[in-house]
Amino acid sequence: MEVLFRDFQTACQEGSGHLLAATISPIAPPSYLNRLDAIYKDSDVASISQDVARGLTKSAHAAIQYPNPQIDTWTEIYTAYWYAIGGIIAAEQPTSRPEWLRVYMAWKDLANTIIKHYSSGVLEAWTLPVLYMAGKHLRIFAIKADEAAAASGGSDTFNTGEIQEDIAGDFDKNQKLEDAARVINRMFTLCISDRAPLEESRKWGLYYTANLQFKTYFKLNSPSLCKNVIRALGAGRTDMPDLDAFPRSHIVTWKYYVGVLRFLEEDYAGAEESLTSAWHMCHHSATHNIELILTYLIPTCLLTRQLLPSPRLLSPYPRLAEIFTPLVDAIRSGSLSTFDAALADGEAEFVKRRIYLTLERGRDMCLRNLLRKVYLATGMDEEGKRRTRIRVAEFGAAIRLGERGVEGENLENDEVECMVANMICKNLIKGYISRAHGMVVLSKNGAFPGTGI
Amino acid sequence: MTSTAPYWGTAPIATHHMQSTGAFTSVAVRRSFGQNHVSAVPAPPGPPAPQQASSPSAAAAKAKRDWPASVRHYVQRAFASENSIPGINREEMETKLKQVISDSAESNTLLTVDWANKPLPQHMILDERQQSTYLNQNPPWGNGVAPLSIYETNQRSTDSPSKKRKSSDLDSSQDGLQNLPPWRFANSHNVFEARITHPDKRQRNDLSGKSTSKSHQAKNKKRFEDGQAGYVSPKQPFTPSQLNTPPQEMDQGPVIGRCQDLEKKYFRLTSAPNPDTVRPLPVLERTLDLLKRKWKKENNYSYICDQFKSLRQDLTVQHIKTEFTVNVYEIHARIALERGDLGEYNQCQTQLRALHSQHLGGHPEEFKAYRILYFIHTCNRTDMNNALADLTPEEKKVPAIKHALETRSALALGNYHRFAQLYLSTPNMGAYLMDMFVGRERLAALSNMCLSYKPSIKLRFFTEELGFESDDESARFICDHGGQAFLEDREGEVLILTGKAGRFFEAARQAAFQKVDIKGQI
Repeated sequence: MEVLFRDFQTACQEGSGHLLAATISPIAPPSYLNRLDAIYKDSDVASISQDVARGLTKSAHAAIQYPNPQIDTWTEIYTAYWYAIGGIIAAEQPTSRPEWLRVYMAWKDLANTIIKHYSSGVLEAWTLPVLYMAGKHLRIFAIKADEAAAASGGSDTFNTGEIQEDIAGDFDKNQKLEDAARVINRMFTLCISDRAPLEESRKWGLYYTANLQFKTYFKLNSPSLCKNVIRALGAGRTDMPDLDAFPRSHIVTWKYYVGVLRFLEEDYAGAEESLTSAWHMCHHSATHNIELILTYLIPTCLLTRQLLPSPRLLSPYPRLAEIFTPLVDAIRSGSLSTFDAALADGEAEFVKRRIYLTLERGRDMCLRNLLRKVYLATGMDEEGKRRTRIRVAEFGAAIRLGERGVEGENLENDEVECMVANMICKNLIKGYISRAHGMVVLSKNGAFPGTGI
Repeated sequence: MTSTAPYWGTAPIATHHMQSTGAFTSVAVRRSFGQNHVSAVPAPPGPPAPQQASSPSAAAAKAKRDWPASVRHYVQRAFASENSIPGINREEMETKLKQVISDSAESNTLLTVDWANKPLPQHMILDERQQSTYLNQNPPWGNGVAPLSIYETNQRSTDSPSKKRKSSDLDSSQDGLQNLPPWRFANSHNVFEARITHPDKRQRNDLSGKSTSKSHQAKNKKRFEDGQAGYVSPKQPFTPSQLNTPPQEMDQGPVIGRCQDLEKKYFRLTSAPNPDTVRPLPVLERTLDLLKRKWKKENNYSYICDQFKSLRQDLTVQHIKTEFTVNVYEIHARIALERGDLGEYNQCQTQLRALHSQHLGGHPEEFKAYRILYFIHTCNRTDMNNALADLTPEEKKVPAIKHALETRSALALGNYHRFAQLYLSTPNMGAYLMDMFVGRERLAALSNMCLSYKPSIKLRFFTEELGFESDDESARFICDHGGQAFLEDREGEVLILTGKAGRFFEAARQAAFQKVDIKGQI
């Protein structure tokens, strides 16, 4: 218990929000692996709140006289914390059946207590990391509680006793996480509604709490809810600090999520901008984060600028290399059948990452490369210039060559025309189709834009 | 607390707060009052927290004023932990307690009041909340205010007559709020929740705490039930229809209907269902047969839709989840599809997805295929992605699903040639869904052709490529989009002057993809 008060005192003296947040960490620091145990064993249900109050008052006397509300507040917080770690210690016992629900409920109490004291104004803006700590782990414990609930066999998910219109309401498989999302939303509201001058405003917590919401909504598979957060931030932009002034980690995460959301909305130009900037700002040692950013940036650039990732870019990230390389190779060689196979192979993974529908469009590039090969193979005319009139049948032959089996044989020239027409519309080929002659007439200059011919 | 220093300089309110609370620091027992600096009432000092030694505070109280023993006893009772009510925190209770005592002191009734039998402050609060909830439930004012109080309990929000959820609302992607899943409702109304909904929320906590007091229940009964026996579940208060049912059933158990009518008009539930108007399963089975016959004979969609809704409602309130349920939803979905009522269709589809996942029979594959086609229509990539994620490799080989997937892929790649072939070979009732978006896809193809073909193409080619039934139909299609100028009759053959049209159809194409209107409920 003493360690708690000592840490609290140090944090207050140094005015360090992060140190203060560390005092309510549910994870013991490497330097003191027994921290949770030590704190928990030092008190019991009957006396915890007096113990904390006494401890805090004592340490307060030793250092500075805290105003009373501070002591009351922290007594409440640490008491809630004490209950939470009781649950955590029990849940982490290897033998027992982990009761993450109990941990979640206790942690939620802690989070609500903290929120309460922020809104009453006792906790000041510099202590925001405490809020972050509460929110971050609330989400984690909610996920664990949901997982535990799912593992223990589905409870009857229908009809919870409320009046219902339809037979099957929302499934409760993410019940606790949804609950956590509400609490996290309150944290965000807490930050955005603070009208104090910027230096001591909770507005500095905006991006962290917004990111936490994004994370939660993505996990809940409802990324569309993020729009509300973005809208709220957009509306409040006038009296907010500049984005650049926030901690870099907050910005990188924010830009990543904004980029992914734009990606999902097919705003690829916007996605490229946000993701690129997140990529540049991300700390180089945060490989997992870079990997996440690239997961979306690579398909984005594929569409916006027909850029393929080089092996050098992928090499530090074996997982990315594994999922992208087959596709990229197929596109490079212009082999439609290989591309289709690679896309089908990776479908489960791509769908999971929500990049399937975008990667699928890489087929255009693959086809472009194939047609370009045809163009190059067609050779020169009498004057030593490239032939720019190519029969549709020639393109058709090339496509059929690549496609194996029935599909390839059944390919009609009309469909080939359709494919070429698409290329022209998407500006991957310059030229036009003359149906009367069964010819594709390519532009004399730059028939395949961006490829050097 | 080094960092609090700047705070003092810039935030006078906070400073005041600190000082005023500072004044209390000497009296340890009054800590909890310290935060409550709004106490304008000249109140007697609060009693101690139960777990703290009670004598110092009693002494402190005596020092200021000699309270009658009955009052002190009352205060002690108020603070006793066995009398606390979850959901009512101490601060509120203390405020109320202070108010009660000071009111009494002001009117000089301290000695006359029957303190031993006076309701405890927490119960008074609970009562007040009940009343305010009642007001919220039946707002005397207009709709402008009512929804706020109604949103607060997610489920109940859908029951209010003032905020009617159209089936289409669920999907209107324009409106952020409507688009939210139920659990988000409360959330997005957080600000208001803080102000308005406390009573009700607390009340719900009370229920879970099983500590609703007898007196409160009795009062409630009198107020809302006209003296009839029964129990009002605080979750769904003030619903006379519940009276005849024992409490357990209302709270969690399903209703068991005893209505024998085959037909029933649909009414949105605003309270717990009354068994007298709910039809039991055997009746419902006959109802379905009747409805099927009527639909074939009369083809009256608004009647059928209404009947199916009440049928679904009866199934829901009785918690019937069997193959019959699946059957009902599937038939309703197909009928809605046939009539292009996408709003109603989507409701069924959502339910069916859940029902099918329970392996209750029915035709999950058919409906998975519809789902994919539906998401093509709504251009909803997130849902499409989810739908793809749901499919197993085996399911992908099922003809209907395979067809839907190929359609999706053809459209994603702009392969209108393939799309037209698929359009003409749609299994089941998917064609009704394909009809929803075939127009815009044809327009896209036309726009595409105008950009890539020069100088012209035969109308015949366009007709065949896009699966029109005749040249007439395709010519009409072009004219409908204002393109008659690009049609030319040359030597008995109609040509589309694609070179001339250029980007003409581009704007129409964009417009067609922008508005995906699924609100079209009939």
